[in-house]
Amino acid sequence: MRLLHRFILALTILLSSFVLGQEAPYFVTYDHHLEEPRNLEIATSSTIGVPGVRRKAYLAPYMELEYGAKAWWTTEFYLESQSTRGDSTVFTGWRWENRFRALAREHWINPVLYIEYENVNEATRIQKEVVGKTPDFGVPNAELVRERSHELETKLILSSNTHAWNLSENFIVEKNLSASEGFEFGYAVGASRPLSTMASAQNCRFCRENFAAGLELYGGLGGTDGFGLHNTTHYLGPVISWQVSDNAALHFSPAFGLTRGRNPVLLRLGYSYEVRGFGRKMARLFGGKP
Amino acid sequence: MRLSVLLLFAVAAALAVAQDSQSKTDPKFVAPPDAAAKENPLAGNAEAAAGGKKLFLRSCAECHGENGTGIEDAANLQTPEVQKQSDGALFWKVTNGNVKKGMPPFARLPETQRWQIVSFLRALKPTKEALPSGGNPPSSPKRR
Repeated sequence: MRLLHRFILALTILLSSFVLGQEAPYFVTYDHHLEEPRNLEIATSSTIGVPGVRRKAYLAPYMELEYGAKAWWTTEFYLESQSTRGDSTVFTGWRWENRFRALAREHWINPVLYIEYENVNEATRIQKEVVGKTPDFGVPNAELVRERSHELETKLILSSNTHAWNLSENFIVEKNLSASEGFEFGYAVGASRPLSTMASAQNCRFCRENFAAGLELYGGLGGTDGFGLHNTTHYLGPVISWQVSDNAALHFSPAFGLTRGRNPVLLRLGYSYEVRGFGRKMARLFGGKP
Repeated sequence: MRLSVLLLFAVAAALAVAQDSQSKTDPKFVAPPDAAAKENPLAGNAEAAAGGKKLFLRSCAECHGENGTGIEDAANLQTPEVQKQSDGALFWKVTNGNVKKGMPPFARLPETQRWQIVSFLRALKPTKEALPSGGNPPSSPKRR
């Protein structure tokens, strides 16, 4: 079993070295732009926890398969793992995420409904969202993996485009279905902009138009047993993305902890590759209607 | 475990029925008059159109083809029916898409880049396949 976990971890790290798309540079915040229909995006990202006092560094890689099922529906599957320095490497679970565009046309504010099922254990560290109160990261992995939880996460995504800027706000509600716990709340907000709004005629790798930069802020808001900022964690950091080619992009973000008790810095790296027309190609391959 | 298997089946089933049915013409896909009246700030800018080509190949060609003639059910952008529409109308369509019919909105692109795409669309030269029935314009409902 341990070998299998190591294999999955190695696979996700390996894929991260050859797999990125033109989109907002956020890691945690979602905007209202969905995957284009029948496109498949393969992405791998890693969250690196820079340790504070009496904490251990960790690397939490995850792989995403994002598919544009319809122009108004994007579905995404995640595999995630985690390796803590001086402890162990463990597979931490999988997630299935769905995003639904609520309105057919572009508006000043565009709502998207998000629903995700998570089958993860307590060793999960990818921190795709920060909700509730600050958890204890001092417990060994061997103990944490025994606690598996089925969680349902919903988000209200609000997003606007104005003067080449994207402004996005996410309101998160998470429920652990495996335990008689209440709801946990969180938020994420982001603002980003491409460095140039005009596309040059030439294909270029390092043109300003291929880069986007912004700022992201996210954190927990407690739960039904105590809503608010007390004993919660918040991160703020710049986000940068680089469209390496027509299909591939790289993302980077150092997020700085605004509160004590958790990693003072989270380094996030991501690489994604878009397979255009994946659904059409598959349909052709199997002789179905594209 | 049983729940996991059920969920995976649900994913597979959902994706199986998720094929979009695009339509070549949608009479309801019409830009509002104020949007259609907008003028292209990049009109006549050859360099902008060349940049638009690059964007078109990256974002649109998968469905509309490299020459804009349309693949499968996506609209042929060379037809007089499309070309007679104003720059503002095309810009509105690129921005909003036709979500119910499978065309995604491209508002993720900065406004300037969407105008560049419109400039490129204007530069598309009609090919034989773009002109149905000997080159006569189609008789579908008039759209701006």
